[in-house]
Amino acid sequence: MRGLWPILKRELLGLFVTPIAWVIMAAFLFIEGLFFYFLIMSYSSQSDVIVGMGPAEAFFGQSEFFYFPLVLICPVLTMRLFAEERKSGTIEALLTAPVTPAAVVLGKYLATLCVYVVMWAPTVLYMFILSSHGEIDWSLVATGYAGTLLVGMAYLAIGTLASALTSSQLAAAMGATVFILAFFVMGYAARGFDEGSTRSMLEHVAVSSLMNDFSRGLVDSRRLVFWVSFAIIPLYATIRTVESWRWG
Amino acid sequence: MIACHKLCKDYGSFRALKNLSFEVARGEVVGFLGPNGAGKSTTLRILSGFLGPTSGDARINGHSIVDEPIVAKSMIGYMPEAAPLYTEMRVGEYLLYRAELKGVARASRKTAVSRVIADAGLDGMDGVLIGHLSKGYRQRVGLADALVASPPLLILDEPTAGLDPNQIREVRALISRLKEKHTILVSTHILSEVEAMCDKGVLIARGELIAQGTLAELRALRRPRAVRIRIRGDASAAKKALVDIQGAGETTIEDSADRSRLSVSFSDPDDADATTARIVAALSRVQIGVVEVVPSSSLEQVFADLTARAPTATAGDAKKRKGQR
Repeated sequence: MRGLWPILKRELLGLFVTPIAWVIMAAFLFIEGLFFYFLIMSYSSQSDVIVGMGPAEAFFGQSEFFYFPLVLICPVLTMRLFAEERKSGTIEALLTAPVTPAAVVLGKYLATLCVYVVMWAPTVLYMFILSSHGEIDWSLVATGYAGTLLVGMAYLAIGTLASALTSSQLAAAMGATVFILAFFVMGYAARGFDEGSTRSMLEHVAVSSLMNDFSRGLVDSRRLVFWVSFAIIPLYATIRTVESWRWG
Repeated sequence: MIACHKLCKDYGSFRALKNLSFEVARGEVVGFLGPNGAGKSTTLRILSGFLGPTSGDARINGHSIVDEPIVAKSMIGYMPEAAPLYTEMRVGEYLLYRAELKGVARASRKTAVSRVIADAGLDGMDGVLIGHLSKGYRQRVGLADALVASPPLLILDEPTAGLDPNQIREVRALISRLKEKHTILVSTHILSEVEAMCDKGVLIARGELIAQGTLAELRALRRPRAVRIRIRGDASAAKKALVDIQGAGETTIEDSADRSRLSVSFSDPDDADATTARIVAALSRVQIGVVEVVPSSSLEQVFADLTARAPTATAGDAKKRKGQR
């Protein structure tokens, strides 16, 4: 994996200097803060509505608000990774350095994952606010964040692939958004089916099933396998795409 | 240092390179010549590992760019055409990043960067955003990047394209300085560049090798078609005196203020030397002073001639064959 570390560092610099990362983090924290505020308001006004579920679990598992911003934010984080380098030609300097395509792809991908983690970090404060006013189960918070990380890993991997498939940043962002949204819609659609194989299949791919389980501390290996492969397969496809440019 | 063997590259149904083979020995500075669209950049991109050949192979210091790309790439300092750079980075920052990417050890990275900053004439620029640099300075950053890992081989794709005459002179001077430590393959479509910097030339057109050899060998590929003479005296009288010289064709008086330049074509280029002597003798018979005699066989004409027609044997090959006989 020679070259991974310098590429990761440069990519982080690129994300923070062209202020994409700051803009995304500000937008994201605004929406999550708004969501958290309304969640607390609803809890404080009607304390017995959601029985057996604290606000922390509700934050991670009970609302589309939680992951809907990710549908847009992850593709915007990843859209420039390859598209920009191909448009400006810097990809030639990058790929003629003695580095493997895998290091290039993973370096770039991990940089966006770092931004993703940094973006979520301030929300830990919400948990401290909750714990100062009541009880909070920190292991549920941990699994909630683990689920969040899995979702990010998958969405960012799809965004990375989309960025490698086109030299237009807009097309990359749109492509990834549509793909992620399609899975999102499938999760919703599950509710429209009777119990049966279609419904369970749709539920299986739905981000809400993952977050429901994880926010309640249920770490199901089926979900793990599905979401980890959801990250690995696009990354593998990206590596192959980068290799294929040589032979195009 | 470089050994290309039957490189072919197809873009869809278009064959950009056709069985291109050539070699560059260690320590040589080789000009890679060809008109626009001849396949120069494609070839250099294959050598640098950015593109893969459709068939054939290239070895860099004995390592195949197809089978061992990482080892081969680590021996090359490549400067792509137009030197694309990250505009949001600072010069020093960028060069440090490139040094790390190319595996320069942490301890010597800073030294390496300050060395190439000095070499490429970027003193005092290391804190400047690349986006704020002029084209000439970006080109220098690209060159500094190619040098930063001290690779034995430099591959430079049109390093002087788009520069002003002063910058071109500086780049040439730099390349001449680099000769001592590096083998250099430099592409260009400007022939005076090759004459100024290179020991040898490789000439391609339409994806095929047209000629390769030392500059003298390349020039010899084309015998002079004419001789240019500067005289002291009456040009019309000189023209009249040259009417019936054996081997000389038409005489034209070049359009200049003092009407002092003549161009005499050869009817038989093989007899150029004898004809030139006869022309000079004829002029001195009519009391016209000959100031300058220049056979017009520049590399430019070799280039124009060779690239305009079908490929022929190379100068190097011709020499080899002669040697075998």
